[in-house]
Amino acid sequence: MRWLRFAVGLIIALTLHSLLNSFFPNALAFFNPYVILVVYYSMGGNVFGAIIAGVVAGLVQDAFSGAIFGLHAFSLTVCAYAVAYVNSRLSLRGTVAFGACLIGAVIANELVIYILVNILLKQKIQFFEQGMIFKAFFTCLFGMLVYQLLTLFLREEPIEATRRPAGW
Amino acid sequence: MPVPVDVIPRRPTLLLIVVLSLLFVLMSLSSRTSYVGETRTMFERSVMTIFAPVPKTVNWVGSTAADMYHGYLDMRRSVKENLELRRKVDQLTTENLRLRQGEGDMRRLRSLLSYSEQFTMPTSMAEAIMLDLSSRFKSIVVDRGSSTGVDVDDAVVNANGLIGRVVLTTKDMAKVQLITDSNASVGVLIERTRRQGVLRGDGGGGAQLFDIPSLADVRPGDRIISAGIDGIYPKGIPVGVVTKAEKGQDLFKTIAVKPTVDFGSIEEVIVLHTRKVPGQIARYTP
Repeated sequence: MRWLRFAVGLIIALTLHSLLNSFFPNALAFFNPYVILVVYYSMGGNVFGAIIAGVVAGLVQDAFSGAIFGLHAFSLTVCAYAVAYVNSRLSLRGTVAFGACLIGAVIANELVIYILVNILLKQKIQFFEQGMIFKAFFTCLFGMLVYQLLTLFLREEPIEATRRPAGW
Repeated sequence: MPVPVDVIPRRPTLLLIVVLSLLFVLMSLSSRTSYVGETRTMFERSVMTIFAPVPKTVNWVGSTAADMYHGYLDMRRSVKENLELRRKVDQLTTENLRLRQGEGDMRRLRSLLSYSEQFTMPTSMAEAIMLDLSSRFKSIVVDRGSSTGVDVDDAVVNANGLIGRVVLTTKDMAKVQLITDSNASVGVLIERTRRQGVLRGDGGGGAQLFDIPSLADVRPGDRIISAGIDGIYPKGIPVGVVTKAEKGQDLFKTIAVKPTVDFGSIEEVIVLHTRKVPGQIARYTP
């Protein structure tokens, strides 16, 4: 069931991606729906599931963006792992905690991308800091709104709310 | 089928390292290939194929919605444009009618003017403002009176021929007795034979020619013009056409004449300020 919900979330993220691409092409520079999905999923604390979610969401994002294939998969996997790892120990809940996780995830995601682009393409991303701040702000804002709506109307905690042990 | 526990890495950190390593390899391969068309990796193509329906659907929905929205906007614009065009058509139709009317007026006035230029006596243009053709006494009222020099017994004509004479004037208007009035008489001659006679109105729409001897040569179709012998009408104005010429009961012929003027469609007329024969000369008997 949780994978089904993840798949639905992924389709919604891809839909958002396509919509923004079609109507506001610059909007994706300030907003990343895949990070919201991955963080939401990873908040459950299941590290294994989070890694898989990060890989899948990242590959989908890579497939439909012009980046190196695997770049976003790599960065999102790192973010998903970090969020899931932290949540497996601290069990963070609530909109503010979700927002904080999102900000952290976006920053980590951008940093990983920056480093990888530097290594693989020997290029520097222009306006990296500004882009990262804007992306963190808007993604956090939208993500918190989504989280709040899900909690209010679906009475739902993040996927995999029943926490599992950190390892098997 | 549940995944055997042995296959799953014992530690997620290990799994993370494995996954990241694989992704790094994937990235390295991708970064070495050109990002155009068929050179994309097979793995990437597979992911795109699986998820392709989503952006396709989004695009379809987006373009359909955009088309509908633009269609709606176009429709609204068309409706507005249609109303504007209809209004413009109405406006232009009215203007066209006015111009046609003006053109007709101009043509008529021009012919009237050129006709009036052939007269040596002073003339003035007038417009018929009332027509009384229903009674036995045929008359019209024109919008010129004594203030513009119109006087009793002035001849009234239009481009088609003789209309009648002024019988009453006020300051601004004048009443004209038509030649078809039963009391009207005009000295005329038959253009072809120059035979003179007197034309009298029959009280209907036509007139009769009197005092033409039975032996005179008169045929239907002969043109009748004013003879200029009655002291009112100048010579040479078309009066009518003979429609019937029969031998009468006495020495004279019975001749029916159709006036050249259509009295039902009189609009503008020319009043000829003819030189009157002084009363004592007219009444003098040796």
